[in-house]
Amino acid sequence: MTKPIIEMKNIIKVFPPNVVALDSVSADFMQGEIHAIVGENGAGKSTLMKVLYGLEHANSGEIFFQEVKIENKNAGEAIARGIGMVHQEILLIPEYTVWENIILGEEPTGLFGKIDQHAAREQVKSRIDEFQFNLDPDSKVEDISVAARQKVEILKLLYRNVSVLILDEPTAVLTPQEIPQLFLELRRLAKNGKTILFISHHLEEVLELSDRITVMRKGAKIATVDAANTSKDSLAQMMVGREVLFSSQRIEQIPGEVVFNTENLSFRDANLRIRLENVSLSVRAGEIVGIAGVEGNGQLELVNCMMGMSKPFQGKIVVNNCDLTHAEILERRRFISFVSQDRSKMGASIKDSILDNVRMTHHRLNPKFTHWKGLLLNDVYARKFTAQIEKAFAVVMGSADNEFRSLSGGNQQKVILGRELLLDTPFILLDQPTRGLDVGSIEYVHETILKMRGQNRAILLISADLEELFRIADRILVIFRGKIVADLPVAQTNIEQIGYLMLEGREKINAAKTD
Amino acid sequence: MNILTGLINGMISGATPILLAALGGTFTYYAGIFNIAMEGMMLSGAFFAVLGSYYFNSWPMGILCAILGSLFMALIFILFAVKLKTDEFVTGIALNLFAVGSTTYLLRQIFDVKGAFSKPGIVPIPRLNIPLINKIPFLGDILSGQNMIIYLTILLTILAAYMIFKTRFGLRLRAAGYNAACLDSSGVSTDRVRTWSLILCGVFCGLAGAFLSLGYVTLFSENMSAGRGWISLAAVILVNGNPWGIALISLIFGFTDGFGLLLQQYLPSQFTSMVPYVATLIALYFYSVKARNKKA
Repeated sequence: MTKPIIEMKNIIKVFPPNVVALDSVSADFMQGEIHAIVGENGAGKSTLMKVLYGLEHANSGEIFFQEVKIENKNAGEAIARGIGMVHQEILLIPEYTVWENIILGEEPTGLFGKIDQHAAREQVKSRIDEFQFNLDPDSKVEDISVAARQKVEILKLLYRNVSVLILDEPTAVLTPQEIPQLFLELRRLAKNGKTILFISHHLEEVLELSDRITVMRKGAKIATVDAANTSKDSLAQMMVGREVLFSSQRIEQIPGEVVFNTENLSFRDANLRIRLENVSLSVRAGEIVGIAGVEGNGQLELVNCMMGMSKPFQGKIVVNNCDLTHAEILERRRFISFVSQDRSKMGASIKDSILDNVRMTHHRLNPKFTHWKGLLLNDVYARKFTAQIEKAFAVVMGSADNEFRSLSGGNQQKVILGRELLLDTPFILLDQPTRGLDVGSIEYVHETILKMRGQNRAILLISADLEELFRIADRILVIFRGKIVADLPVAQTNIEQIGYLMLEGREKINAAKTD
Repeated sequence: MNILTGLINGMISGATPILLAALGGTFTYYAGIFNIAMEGMMLSGAFFAVLGSYYFNSWPMGILCAILGSLFMALIFILFAVKLKTDEFVTGIALNLFAVGSTTYLLRQIFDVKGAFSKPGIVPIPRLNIPLINKIPFLGDILSGQNMIIYLTILLTILAAYMIFKTRFGLRLRAAGYNAACLDSSGVSTDRVRTWSLILCGVFCGLAGAFLSLGYVTLFSENMSAGRGWISLAAVILVNGNPWGIALISLIFGFTDGFGLLLQQYLPSQFTSMVPYVATLIALYFYSVKARNKKA
């Protein structure tokens, strides 16, 4: 029988003035296990881990580490005790090499504070070999992939000899191909006696990887279950507190006229490399067209060309028979609602108020948002409009004057969706609209998209999540190295076929077709 | 031959204060501080160098006072920009203006003169004659007989490059500039690293000031740093902080300084003293062209 390496007892955390983030949470983690902590955004899973790591301080409760009561005042103390955390946003110095990043703060030094490069490299190398991480200690961090950077973060903690690793949504930054590799490495770490605590809201991953799962909802622990004895549905139900429909029911509907189309759209980057090659696609009214593809195959360039942020060197973009190829961005916005994949950078100005974020674009297009032909902003109308979005899109928010970033991820996305969809455009461009959202919010976003389809809007959905595409799209296009390589109705294809097209750019040749 | 050695020696002594201040500035540059206060630190150093040298009748005391005076400015910068998190640019402007005002005020109050203070009682920093080398024709006039601070500056350039690129302090210093959050999460206080970089900057600018008022000339005049702190800032930015690059740029500025003096025989002095500043602008232009080519 293994003993718990960490026990957290009755942890209470209240954020002033009266937000209860953790409501008497108790949990224990065993030596050498992979333990997932799941919950919706704002369920308190990150806060619980931050309390353990010393980034937040509990109002009451006790933490035992190897049966000794501890209190981590800051991250440094936690690391010294052997508890390390890899944050969601990777904190490394791109200009430094792998080994420089790893030793930063714990440098082996010789005379006059000179860094002992030889010793440093050897120590880093031995850690890399021990865990078979397949990294070159001398490569610069800016030259390596996101997945490799994550490994560097983990190595940085292993170099400091931690025995407990906390990972905050480690798969959020990875491509689907990179995830199995990470899981392999995490399993190897667990086998070597490290305890892995892993925050996620991707239920399939959690079930695949972890030994035990702790479910949290609204600051309380709901249960800790063995991964072997549970299912996706029961986890989702515990997380959300009600049943979640994983297969949204689609009403069959015959699409109307072509609303949006591109003809031979081609784009070159600054180094004159072709990034988009003769992309021709069309979206009809009342139709959801999905674009599947491994990230970096031209999706971003396609979105940028459509929204006027990049100039294609060839081709046409047409909405409702209006040629928008060379139109100003504002002109395009009369025809295109746009949800960008990056909520915090392009989708919103997170330091500004919710109110200001809601009226953006509208204030240029809708005269009701201003007095005197655009000279003065009409606050009264904007507030009414914000309240309308709050109600129609079930946004949980305080005052409209609060900073946008005070909203949870799901609510941020609802506000952006509300703003965009109420532009009442014929065409809607959605770029990864559910990235980083929890199951409840994803379900809501999907329902909203289907509702828009019901209103005969033309929808283009770019997503890295094949299940999402199969759940709501009518037709799936596969983009591969800047080219559309397939156009398949959902009813006539399956995930395996699309997955193969995404990776290889062509159909699988069936070897057994000779009889 | 005489004109050439004169021009080279002029270049070296013109480069020294810029190089020293820029080396100080490069520590703060790597630490991620937008530090424009080198001008003020240098001026304050120059004043206190004369004060110390005159009252103690000793040039080492002059250097010590120069460093202390410049450090005082650095400490104000630390208090506001690092501790109280005020805007670095505004703090730097305030310090530069404060340095002009306070040294002018103190000059009038303590020495009761306007404009410049020059007395035989001020002991200059001596020149160093290196035996044997001073016998070499032509080179001897350049390698030997320079001001002590100039030899010190060469050592400090090597030391700065070593500190920044080879030592633990350097690794943390550059980390503070590249990604402060990363450094903090590695268990090193960014604020502490930045404080040390400013203290180093203070010491280097103090030496630059001491060279101005006890080496280059032996007097203190109002606002005698005359934009050298700003030029040093330009030098730091031009070469992205690399100490060897800074040394080269400083020599070029030193040359234009000496060249300006030479030109005075033909042009009005108002135009010739513009030469270093025009050179700064030209250098910045080429830098921006280079940066733009890199981007594309």
